[in-house]
Amino acid sequence: MNWNGHYLDGRSAHRQPVSVGVTAGGLEIVTHDAVLRRWPYAEIRQTQGRYAGEPVRLERGRAPAEVLIVSNPHFLTTLRESAGDYSSRFYDPRRRGRRMLLTLGAGVAAVGLAAGLYLWGIPALALVATPLVPPAWEARLGDEIYARLVSSEDRCSDPERQRLIEAILARLTGNGGAGPYHLRLTVVDWPQVNAFALPGGHILLLRGLLDSTDSPEMLAGVLAHEVQHILRRHTTRALIQHASSSLMVAAIAGDVSGLVAFALEGARVVGALNYSRKAEEEADAEGLRMLLRAQINPAGMIAFFDRVVRKEDGREPEGIWRYLNTHPSHTQRVATLKALAANAPVGPPLLAGHDWNDVKRICGG
Amino acid sequence: VPAGPEAPTLPEIGVAEVAWPAPTVAGAHRLTFHGRAGSLFGIHIVNVFLTLVTLGVYYFWGKARVRRYMFGQAEIDGDRFAFEGRGLEMLIGFVKAGVLFGLPLAALNYAPPLLGADTMVTAASSLVAYALVLVLIPTARSGARRYRLSRTSWRGIHFSFRGRTLTFVRLYAGGSLLSVLTLGLYYPVFATRNHAFLTGHSYVGGARFEFAGRGTDLLVSFIYAVLLTLPTLGLVWFWFAAAKRRYFWEHTRLGQARFRSTITGGRLLRLKLGNLVIILLTLGLGWPLASVRTARFLCRHIWLEGVVDPAAIRQELQTANATGEGLLGLFEADLDLG
Repeated sequence: MNWNGHYLDGRSAHRQPVSVGVTAGGLEIVTHDAVLRRWPYAEIRQTQGRYAGEPVRLERGRAPAEVLIVSNPHFLTTLRESAGDYSSRFYDPRRRGRRMLLTLGAGVAAVGLAAGLYLWGIPALALVATPLVPPAWEARLGDEIYARLVSSEDRCSDPERQRLIEAILARLTGNGGAGPYHLRLTVVDWPQVNAFALPGGHILLLRGLLDSTDSPEMLAGVLAHEVQHILRRHTTRALIQHASSSLMVAAIAGDVSGLVAFALEGARVVGALNYSRKAEEEADAEGLRMLLRAQINPAGMIAFFDRVVRKEDGREPEGIWRYLNTHPSHTQRVATLKALAANAPVGPPLLAGHDWNDVKRICGG
Repeated sequence: VPAGPEAPTLPEIGVAEVAWPAPTVAGAHRLTFHGRAGSLFGIHIVNVFLTLVTLGVYYFWGKARVRRYMFGQAEIDGDRFAFEGRGLEMLIGFVKAGVLFGLPLAALNYAPPLLGADTMVTAASSLVAYALVLVLIPTARSGARRYRLSRTSWRGIHFSFRGRTLTFVRLYAGGSLLSVLTLGLYYPVFATRNHAFLTGHSYVGGARFEFAGRGTDLLVSFIYAVLLTLPTLGLVWFWFAAAKRRYFWEHTRLGQARFRSTITGGRLLRLKLGNLVIILLTLGLGWPLASVRTARFLCRHIWLEGVVDPAAIRQELQTANATGEGLLGLFEADLDLG
């Protein structure tokens, strides 16, 4: 049986209608009852025709290759039957059904892999890679951020009170507790109740938070938490996680325009919040341990979080929003802290003989 | 019958060619896109899986598969296009571009602050990095075009891009600076000159695509678009983009034939808005549908009109490597889809 198709000689775009005979040794390309070409199966490669409805395209030779195109969908089956040992050079149309199943399987596996990478792969990579970043780089990055974030007039500079607050920090870190980092504390004249740790050693304590503490022990709890962010290099870890999850998103988005990447970036940001919640939990637990090692009464830290809970009562995030929050649930935080602090030995109180309400006026007023 | 590689004799071929003289086809040569979003989605799923398993290495093979599919689904005058690019060469191109250009660029940007260099050194090296980008983007564009066209064929005849990279770099860097200096007014001229260079040095076999547009022709539409940006909330730019594309296509010829286009602002807006909705509603998973819609749109609204003599399109092979393709990958997502 002969098949209708057309032949391209690789020299011009002229197409020649041909009839193709499928023989035991190869294809016979016949035009006007004369044999134009004989193609042995061993020299033929198929470049199109894997998908239903796509004509079969066969090529032979190096570039510029000769091309033979046959549209009849049954041609491929006959070709495979006749090609004997070389049948694997041609796509088996029966595989189209199986390909559907394989695709589905690949889809399920891809979702599983992406989840695995997100839950374990990327955090593990960040854990391994973070210690490789020199602390000096972190310090420079931190200095850079610090210089841009806090203008010099916002920095509260009262040397006497600053010394007292730094004494709390010194008690926490003790001898060599700060590792390779030079910790620098700045009280910033902003009203928000918050504190930040920058990579490499800067701790920014906002006036609003300082004002809301009742005792040096309360502040010590906050500082211990921030010091842990620095020592555990959470910012550096977050940067590495950001870079690698961006790469994963790029792998999923594939060869596409910026729009898709943009849609997926949203998913990545939501995912990153989970990583940061874990970092907060770690800073809580390790911060409390640090407090206990320094024999500072943990009641202050717990009371502080307790107050935040009461203040935010009714605003406690519920359901899905709990996971979209960067900080762990406060109720949960307090419960964990209380469990960790039970029966801890307590040393002398912090800043004995100083009026805490006076120390708090470091920003004047 | 033993099948030999060169079994037929020359007189036989001669007979055949006389019997079927090369037909010269007049009239409209329409493009048809046969691709289906479902098939493309299947290819994409497998690509994602293999890319994750290989920690990203398969990405380039996946890219090749998507292009092979998309090109193979576009047909004109009864024959489909073919893309022959290989994953390995794209991987090599990417690595080469990364080592040759990506690393120096990253070093210029990040090394001075990390090593604690003073502000002057940091600023100077950032400036060098900017200048380098201005050179690398046109290098990437023309290199990627050279690669893509060389791997694309129709009726077995390969396309090629033969513009000199250095000429394009000069055109691009000069045009960018002029656009900034004229507060953007030079942009339509710049865009047209870029297009003229990229199109005018493109060939299918030995047949050249000729572009006869002048940059000043788009200037009036451009000024209208600038003036109407606020009252139309920016939507006027779809009409400008459509006018630009129509102008570019309608001033492009291939031999005796000329390209025609019916892309309008309304149609372009519907296409892009539809794609946006699809992608946002599916969180990006629907991009194969968006790609197929775009390809169908282009095939429906661009065609070639006039006499084409296929026998006159002779093969002329040009070499190209994938470094420019890899370099473009460093800078931006793909331009040909979406």
